[in-house]
Amino acid sequence: MIELRSTLAGRITLAVLATLILLFLAMPIIVIVVTSFGKDAFGNFPPSSWTLGWYKQLFADGSKWPAALSLSALVASLTTVFSLVLGMTAATALVRSELPLRSAVYGLVLAPLVIPQVVIALGLFLLFEPAAMLGSPIAIALGHTVLAAPIGVMILMATLKGIDERLEDAAASMGAGRLTVWRRVTLPLAAPGLVAAGIFSFITSFDEFFISQFLSSVDTVTLPVKVFNVLQYNVDPSVTAVSAILIAVAVVALALVAVVRKLGGSGKQDGLLLTEPTVGLTAGSETSS
Amino acid sequence: MPETDVIPEPALDSAASVTGTGKPVSVTRLRKTYGGVTAVDEVSMEIAAGEFVTFLGSSGSGKTTTLMMIAGFCEPDAGSIVVGGRDVTRLAPQKRGLGFVFQQYLLFPHMTVWDNVAFPLQLRGVSKAEQRRRVGETLEMAGLSAMARRRPRELSGGQQQRVALCRALVYRPPVILMDEPLGALDKKLRDQLQTEIKRIQRELGLTVIYVTHDQEEALVLSDRIAVMRDGRIDQFDTPQELFERPRTPFVADFLGAANFLPGRLEKQTADHTVVRLDTGGLVTARPQAAADGTRVRAAVQPGRLVLCPPGDGFCTGTVETVTYVGTLVRVTVRPVQGADTELVRLELPAGRAPALGERVGLTADPANVSVFPDVLPDAEQGG
Amino acid sequence: MAVLAPVSGSAAPVPRKKRLGRVLSERRTRFGLLNAAPVVVYLLILFVYPIFSTLMLSLKAENGGFTLHWYADAFRGANLEILLTTLRISAETSLLALVVGFALASAISRLKPLWAGLAMLVVVVPHFISALVRTYGWIILLGDNGVVNNLLTALHFPGAPFQLLYNEIGVVIGTTAVMLPYTVLLLYAVMKGIDRRLLAAAAGMGAGRITIFRRVYVPLVAPGLVNAGVLSFILCLGYYLTPALMGGEKQTMVASLIDEQVMKQNQWNGASALGIILLLLTFAGLLLLRLLKSAGEALRKRGEAS
Repeated sequence: MIELRSTLAGRITLAVLATLILLFLAMPIIVIVVTSFGKDAFGNFPPSSWTLGWYKQLFADGSKWPAALSLSALVASLTTVFSLVLGMTAATALVRSELPLRSAVYGLVLAPLVIPQVVIALGLFLLFEPAAMLGSPIAIALGHTVLAAPIGVMILMATLKGIDERLEDAAASMGAGRLTVWRRVTLPLAAPGLVAAGIFSFITSFDEFFISQFLSSVDTVTLPVKVFNVLQYNVDPSVTAVSAILIAVAVVALALVAVVRKLGGSGKQDGLLLTEPTVGLTAGSETSS
Repeated sequence: MPETDVIPEPALDSAASVTGTGKPVSVTRLRKTYGGVTAVDEVSMEIAAGEFVTFLGSSGSGKTTTLMMIAGFCEPDAGSIVVGGRDVTRLAPQKRGLGFVFQQYLLFPHMTVWDNVAFPLQLRGVSKAEQRRRVGETLEMAGLSAMARRRPRELSGGQQQRVALCRALVYRPPVILMDEPLGALDKKLRDQLQTEIKRIQRELGLTVIYVTHDQEEALVLSDRIAVMRDGRIDQFDTPQELFERPRTPFVADFLGAANFLPGRLEKQTADHTVVRLDTGGLVTARPQAAADGTRVRAAVQPGRLVLCPPGDGFCTGTVETVTYVGTLVRVTVRPVQGADTELVRLELPAGRAPALGERVGLTADPANVSVFPDVLPDAEQGG
Repeated sequence: MAVLAPVSGSAAPVPRKKRLGRVLSERRTRFGLLNAAPVVVYLLILFVYPIFSTLMLSLKAENGGFTLHWYADAFRGANLEILLTTLRISAETSLLALVVGFALASAISRLKPLWAGLAMLVVVVPHFISALVRTYGWIILLGDNGVVNNLLTALHFPGAPFQLLYNEIGVVIGTTAVMLPYTVLLLYAVMKGIDRRLLAAAAGMGAGRITIFRRVYVPLVAPGLVNAGVLSFILCLGYYLTPALMGGEKQTMVASLIDEQVMKQNQWNGASALGIILLLLTFAGLLLLRLLKSAGEALRKRGEAS
């Protein structure tokens, strides 16, 4: 292999630079997790002494956090269901059939990822406000699905592309009807992809702020909206603990995806995590198919 | 969830299954075009119950498309397909009750070997006990009993294809379609599996429609072969007929890589045709309706040429190459007269090989020589 | 089954209507339409229609007639300033994310697979953690008594402690951290595709390191740079969280203005006009990408032809 040899100085510079940038990405997360166990409410890092008090306070009587948490969980679960249903059907249409105007449908599905979220949120507000649905968990979940469904579609499209279509033909040749083929062949093979799509949909919704902000009412706020409000207006040191919980949820979700992909044996893709949701963003350019 | 597509299980006990389960297949004027390109053009054929029929052709000849239309994976633009008296032309694949073996095996990766084979029985609502018995029997027959609990990816290619065969056989479909099932295997395994497929087909009396581009495979397996080209059937006959009485130069060339010797038709009788070759000699061939004096080509398979003393026979030449291929030897001979004529190719038993540079005469039984009007066989144009 | 077209007949155009009828008759097409229907209907109702009604609202006068004055308002006085601020901060952020992302991606692309995998994990995991939470992390880090200032003071850095929050520095740092995973992922994908032997070949012809970088490496990465730059710019335009939490008065961006007009001033028409302006800016960016891409392809084709 012919390679341009790099100088030692060059390599050290590069290594230091890379480490600094990686720290830049990781520090805000580390600092929150550590601070959430520190006695000093805000700011001081590293903390002078340790406590679990902020976590206890979250679930103390009169705390507003559990309500926000359960609303977020409810909304995220609904979003996951919507996104999986839309994602599986749309991916089937885009990967497994002749679709007139295919690229138009594909473009429409990806569009919510590049359109400014504030525009989507504003539009949804104008839709739900006259219907008096602000604050309804269904309305918020329907809104989140606009963002979650494209991610679900992309993951499931990749999943379906990875399943040999002729396996379905083989099942049909033996007498399996469309429903049976789906249940006995497609679904089990797509299971890892469905789990991944479900998890990404869940955290997309669970972390979503802007649409929730527009669709919340005074007494129904999701966790991120409450965190934002506290950061902007109130002083509630428990917010650090809530943030740490949000981090934990995301990390556990990603770990789950990694485990499922490993078990699902999708060794073809390198790396443990899906980067499609991000890379797929390249300005609606259809890299696939 | 209820099985929405339980297929009526043909009433058969294990004794009955040994005698013919095959059904006849009748294809009438089948057509398929893809975006203006005709893939299959007016294909008709009658296949008898229990017959082993092969579609032979190069890629793009329409053989796979025809098979796919019989299977139901693609819809014909026109024509009809009748299996065992039932018109299935517009039926979905799962309602046709046929079996299919794919080149890429297509075993379900999430099921064990056992579950793969049991799958079609489960679709038919066969009882657990009966499933156990039949899957066990089928795996036993294929020598796969020890592999029953393995996953497909733990098996070799040959084993996987055997499982695929079991999966198609276990529910005893009246017709099994096979799309180059041995194409991905090496020569030795292929030979072995060919024998097994043939044996099982005979024992069970199955109707098999087989697609391949390998003429040797077609000749070994088939009761009849349909040689296909450009979406049409050139000739549909027994291997012997195809070999000995090819109806088109393409068939002659495709099956045996025939020698096409140019010449002029000299005279015709009821029994034979005589052609004056450009190299000077006279060759006697099977009768062919053409006017005396027209340009023709006499086609002879390399294996049907016989050496004789120089001066005898229809052609004399020098041996240019001698290549041993197993028990055969391939010999090329350059005719003495007619400097720019093509080399003549022969296949002889290894013991009869001539020496390099030796002068030899060539002759052939008139029954093995066909005469065609002088147009180049399409195979040489890359068709 | 690609069959070479027979010369005759096949080129004859099929009447359009008949052809569509035939396409529709195919089983797979019916199946496709059936499966595409849910997502299309869903997005038409909850995505396309709302944006359309935003557009209508932005063109509606108080008396119900047609007007452009909401747009005129958007380009006047304080609103215009906010628009310009948005463009400025987006430019600063995407430029910084591009430079930093370039450095990181090129470093990772030279690492051994195991280390590269770990480094990518550090890039990707934060991307899936709530931007709100990460912004909060930055607030803790950049405060007057935050880690950064404490560190700089301890090192006797001249001028420390600095004001790093509620000004443009804070906003740009925080937003860059959010955009960085995008640029790194996009650039990394391009860099992995570069045949590094080309660089060695250039060195073999006597090119120095800087020349190789400038004349070979950067041109090869250029499509990725354009993609990543324009994309992060677009994503910044409508970004709300970080500027709202880490910025001061002077860092108000359009998204904040829209939020304020809807939530506090009940000024939906004005907010709609601002939203449509954001949307048009986004389309302009996407169009620019498309044009640059086809221009690049045309250039390459000409290069190949000559």
